[in-house]
Amino acid sequence: MSTSPNLKSNIKLRSGVSVTSITGKGLFKSFGEGEMQTTAVNDVSIDIKQGEVALMMGPSGSGKTTLLAILSGLLKPDSGKVTALGQDIWTMSEREREHFRLKHCSFIFQGYNLFSSLTARQQLEIVAQWGDGASSREARKKADEILDVLGLLKKAHLRPGELSGGEKQRVAIGRALIKNPDFCFADEPTSALDWAHGEQVIDILRSAAHERGCTVLIVAHDARVIPYADKIFYLEDGKMIDDGGKSIHKTYGKMP
Amino acid sequence: MSYALSTLWYDRQRYLPGVLAVGFSALLIALQCGLLLGLFSITSIPVDHTTADIWLGAPEVLSVDLGRPIREASLARLASQPEIERVEIYLQGFSYWSKPDGGTELCMVIGSRLDENALGKVKELSKDLYLQLSEPGTIVIDESDLGRLGVKGVGDHAEVAGNRVRIVGLTTGLKSLAGPYVFCSINTARPLLRVFPDQITYVLGKCFNPKDAATVVSRLKENQNVSAFTSPEFSLRSRMHWLLKTKAGIALGYAAALGLLVGAVVTSQTLYSATAASLREFAVLRAMGIPRWRMQFMVMQQSLFVGIIGVGLALPAVHGLAAVADYFGGRVELPIWLQSIAAIVTLTMALFSGLFALRSLRNVEPAALLR
Ligand SMILES: Nc1ncnc2c1ncn2[C@@H]1O[C@H](COP(=O)(O)OP(=O)(O)OP(=O)(O)O)[C@@H](O)[C@H]1O
Ligand SMILES: [Mg+2]
Repeated sequence: MSTSPNLKSNIKLRSGVSVTSITGKGLFKSFGEGEMQTTAVNDVSIDIKQGEVALMMGPSGSGKTTLLAILSGLLKPDSGKVTALGQDIWTMSEREREHFRLKHCSFIFQGYNLFSSLTARQQLEIVAQWGDGASSREARKKADEILDVLGLLKKAHLRPGELSGGEKQRVAIGRALIKNPDFCFADEPTSALDWAHGEQVIDILRSAAHERGCTVLIVAHDARVIPYADKIFYLEDGKMIDDGGKSIHKTYGKMP
Repeated sequence: MSYALSTLWYDRQRYLPGVLAVGFSALLIALQCGLLLGLFSITSIPVDHTTADIWLGAPEVLSVDLGRPIREASLARLASQPEIERVEIYLQGFSYWSKPDGGTELCMVIGSRLDENALGKVKELSKDLYLQLSEPGTIVIDESDLGRLGVKGVGDHAEVAGNRVRIVGLTTGLKSLAGPYVFCSINTARPLLRVFPDQITYVLGKCFNPKDAATVVSRLKENQNVSAFTSPEFSLRSRMHWLLKTKAGIALGYAAALGLLVGAVVTSQTLYSATAASLREFAVLRAMGIPRWRMQFMVMQQSLFVGIIGVGLALPAVHGLAAVADYFGGRVELPIWLQSIAAIVTLTMALFSGLFALRSLRNVEPAALLR
């Protein structure tokens, strides 16, 4: 198991007790056959506590997205075990896993993936209505609460075409948070944004973790995210590197 | 519901072809059926242009022009119904017209009472025409049939079933299909139709209150020896009989099926591509565990709305085109039941298109978001 460098040791975890939220053990995943085979995730073990912001870094092609997908129940590992909230998610049936994701998991992917025909508010409402079976009234109330927190209430009636990139990504975060998830998986949520907006996004995810107890796993390239993380993992060629932060320093330079 | 509608409205340009395809199908079906109904309405002229509420004839009469002789005594059966104000006898049947210069033609002889309030007299027979018809051996034909019957006009003579007849007048606007109409009195009609003196074709009845016609008819229907219809029933029955008998219905069926097929292909393609354009968005929802049926349901709602809007656009257009056809002398009949059938058939088509478009959702895979 990798005990990754906690570069920001002054962060206090809520309630002081740290509960293991998700663990991966001995994870392997390779693509292709024979000569063409690439091992995207190679014997990785990982452990994230509840309410933590975990940051996953590493060069392009190192397997970050693949690992995120395995941990989040989207991509089956070739071998290894993922335990989330005490449940082994890869021995579940497809249906059970889908239900698990419905109850506990949210996602933010690169590119905002918002319905071009729906307003910011509707993007959130659709998750509340279709996911939780909320009435349109409840859904609207919840959506407006979240949009308010995200500073988007005034733009609730606008469609993606009328929103800036940062606003769109905040709507995507709102869509992830409206179900009050136990996990939020974010694959490069900031890479399309300038730092001012990227910081805003990370800040929101951090308060989701620290204030709501959501376990957040962020894949990011930007070294400026590092100070916001409770825990950092570094992947290279599908392997988790645990050298007390040296690789991170080497790749991303001196910490701010 | 609102997401389907919002998307439809916002992306209306994308959905337009589907809406138009549905509308076109509905238009095609309604207009074609309406045109044929209009065409075959010629066969029900004797019912539609007279004032009887009830027609009573031989058992299982298929169409007004296919009536068989019944006993004149049947009059009493209708007359004895309490709702009936008055009854009268009526003769109608095919006969042979011999043109003055040789050659024969099928004709349709109609013999009715000829007073002001006669139930079986077509409304085109004006007072001075029907007064003249009381003279035995006189007839009135429609001016549109002069050429077909080989006569020049009023005063000409011809033979019907071997009986010499004289034309005393002409009507306008009573076109015929199988055989030209020959209007005359009941006494003139008997020899022309070669029926016995106590034989008639129909008993016509008028109710004190026309609304009672259906009640009387259903009571009369219990009797196996006669058939009875309200006039709207008999009119429709006559038209439908010829529509089916002439196989015009088959031509209609083909055209309608083709229209529906084209409509279905365009509609499902529209829905398919509209859904496919949001695959990544749907995939995010799938990743978050939202069940696929929610998305399928939304596509089905969209197909329903596309159908409703398409039909909604088509119906006024059908009425507009029917008015244009009327102006050019064609006849389009658009009864409510026909419009409803056209609407239901095209809505069903739209829903099937939606079902077909569901396959686009099969490609919704969260894994697609990882690249
Ligand atoms: N579906 C796939 N089929 C084949 N190979 C794949 C597939 N997904 C990932 N790979 C390979 O696995 C390796 C890891 O990919 P992954 O997307 O996890 O990297 P990453 O760390 O997220 O990179 P980036 O920072 O560029 O997003 C890469 O070599 C990639 O080519
Ligand atoms: Mg990646």
